[in-house]
Amino acid sequence: MISRELMAPLMFGGLVVFMLIGYPVTFSLAAVGLFFGFISIHLGFFDFILLQALPERVYGILSNDTLLAIPFFTLMGAILERCGLAEDLLDGLGQLFGPVRGGLGYAVIVVGAILGAITGTVAASVIAMGLISLPVMMRYGYDQRFATGVIAASGTITQLIPPSLVLIVLADVLGRSVGDMYAGAWGPSVVQVLLFSAYVLLVSFVKPEWVPGIPRESLTLHGWPLVKKCLWGIVPSLVLIFLVLGTIFLGLATPTEAGAMGTVGAIVLAVVHRPEFSKRAKIAFWIGAVAITVISVPEALLLMPEAMPQVVLDASTGFLATFKTPLFIVFYAGLAMVMLESVLIPTLRGLLAEASRSTMRITAMVIFILIGSTIFTLVFRGVDGDLWIEHLLSGLPGGKVGFLIFVNVFVFFLAFFLDFFEIAFIIVPLLAPVAAKLGIDLIWFGVLLCVNMQTSFMHPPFGFALFYLRSIAPKEIKSSAIYWGAIPWVVLQVIMVAIVIAWPGLVTAFLDKGNDVDPTKIKIEVPASDYDKKEGAEEEAPPDFSTPEKK
Amino acid sequence: MKSLLALSRVIDAMNERLSYIANWLVMLSCLISAGNAFSRYAFGASSNAWLEIQWYMFAGMVMLGTSYTLKKNEHVRVDIVFSNLNTRRQIGVDIFGAIFFLLPATLIMAYLSWPIFHNSWVENEVSTNAGGLTRWPVKIFIPLGFALLSLQGFSELIKRWAMLTGHMKANLHYERPLQ
Repeated sequence: MISRELMAPLMFGGLVVFMLIGYPVTFSLAAVGLFFGFISIHLGFFDFILLQALPERVYGILSNDTLLAIPFFTLMGAILERCGLAEDLLDGLGQLFGPVRGGLGYAVIVVGAILGAITGTVAASVIAMGLISLPVMMRYGYDQRFATGVIAASGTITQLIPPSLVLIVLADVLGRSVGDMYAGAWGPSVVQVLLFSAYVLLVSFVKPEWVPGIPRESLTLHGWPLVKKCLWGIVPSLVLIFLVLGTIFLGLATPTEAGAMGTVGAIVLAVVHRPEFSKRAKIAFWIGAVAITVISVPEALLLMPEAMPQVVLDASTGFLATFKTPLFIVFYAGLAMVMLESVLIPTLRGLLAEASRSTMRITAMVIFILIGSTIFTLVFRGVDGDLWIEHLLSGLPGGKVGFLIFVNVFVFFLAFFLDFFEIAFIIVPLLAPVAAKLGIDLIWFGVLLCVNMQTSFMHPPFGFALFYLRSIAPKEIKSSAIYWGAIPWVVLQVIMVAIVIAWPGLVTAFLDKGNDVDPTKIKIEVPASDYDKKEGAEEEAPPDFSTPEKK
Repeated sequence: MKSLLALSRVIDAMNERLSYIANWLVMLSCLISAGNAFSRYAFGASSNAWLEIQWYMFAGMVMLGTSYTLKKNEHVRVDIVFSNLNTRRQIGVDIFGAIFFLLPATLIMAYLSWPIFHNSWVENEVSTNAGGLTRWPVKIFIPLGFALLSLQGFSELIKRWAMLTGHMKANLHYERPLQ
């Protein structure tokens, strides 16, 4: 006879063992959950009704509007990865910064941040930068370790800068709004870019031979063509960033819709980049672009009512009242023409099909980890596992700080062999209630974990970013160089964690400031989202972290 | 063995076909979501049906796509030990996992989730939102998805067994999915 107190530790131990043997995580989770569920029913710890709640939970996951953002952002990333934007950016900025000592390093960091602000996939950034910047860095005598390290690390910035997938997942698990998570992540993102750049600067003083400047005569572009190249990369990026992040923060769209619009933007960008882009579609593109620009000027003026004289405001309102709808029709017609092009150009059609295939599989994989962990967690709470964890963690010396240090060290080591989806779905739900009880702001907690989990991409020898880099790096780069190269950046990342712990204001300050355009108040204008109160209430409402009812 | 492998091929083919639907749902739901946002902004026109159809499609892409993801060996593993095993041991892990983890879990979930579809069907449940959709078409994805997953798990089991007994060339390529 197993006593009730033993169930939770046994379950947790069983999970660790069964995950380690290497069968797909979701099924191990589900099986451990169900197995212990039936044992508990047999021993009378709870009723069969608890297990009958499982399908409703699965339904709650599937009807979750926030999680719908995962396929959209993945699709956007998958399209952008193949459309040549990263190449333009790297080539332009590389030549712009190149002559400075360490310049290619700065270029990679900046491009990593820009790509990060557009989409949310590490793979895309690392692969693009590895393919384009790494050979250039090698040619001009950059140190191998430095070059691979800066590329891997900059690729992971994507994880922290909104609109990152990690933040969406964490928002869901912590029961906070995605908009808040995004707002909170801005401060640390900026600090991280600065910290990385500072390291490059430091290297350029301490070890100048690692990061030589490119001789000016070897640049292929000068003057206006170079500026044009940079603009050709940066302008579309800014438009996409506005389309995705701007619309979220201005309250024009939910994060999910922003992802969908970003995908449309990515498709347009992919079309514009193709040489097969037809003349008639080109005309449609420019007409549409003009139409949307004409609309956005008065719209932008109206966004700052305090700074504008009344005449301008009245004029803008009047203009929009008359011309908004016709101009939008023109814009949408242009958009439709360009989108049509993406179906007509065979290579592009193939690209889109491939992108949706890989998106579908990633989505199914991610959502199934969540389904598996839901099954596990429900039973785990049913046998008071949450109380057990809470008891363990609240017994730590040092209260709040002790808890945070423990959690971060724990996650740091877990990140060696679990990736962030697994940590976010399996571990974070166990930690969050304790954090909430200790009075820790969950947005801050989430952003902190996000910074920490970035290391999971860089840990030698299992880090994803290192894998990607290895797969595309030229042969003369040794694997050991990639592994050693990552270490200083992992250290920087640990410093970042310390910074975020020491200055919570970095996260929360942006939250308070955002009150006038509160991203949490994004409302769809139709009387929608009632469904989540009715059926999915359990899942949609912020999890209350209480134990489910049992016998 | 031969007839089992034939069965496995049938299952694989069926789930692959269904995955095409799932692929389409990705693109379609994305366009609907963007279109909905665009039309709401420009014309103030939007509807609950369009909002709901997005997550119906989401449910569809996950539950119809998961079996094919399993076939492609793309459900994420903790590969710290697994990647160091030889091929026979890896096959062993997969057989063990299929028998003790996947099949029981998916069969139980399919069984448990049947009632929520069935009740919705019998009661002809409709969304509580104005202009919302009938619920059973989305709820059927849950038992259906788990049932398809157990079929695919069975097919994988057959294939692993065939690999172990030399009826089939071992092919256990596992690569962590891109993120």
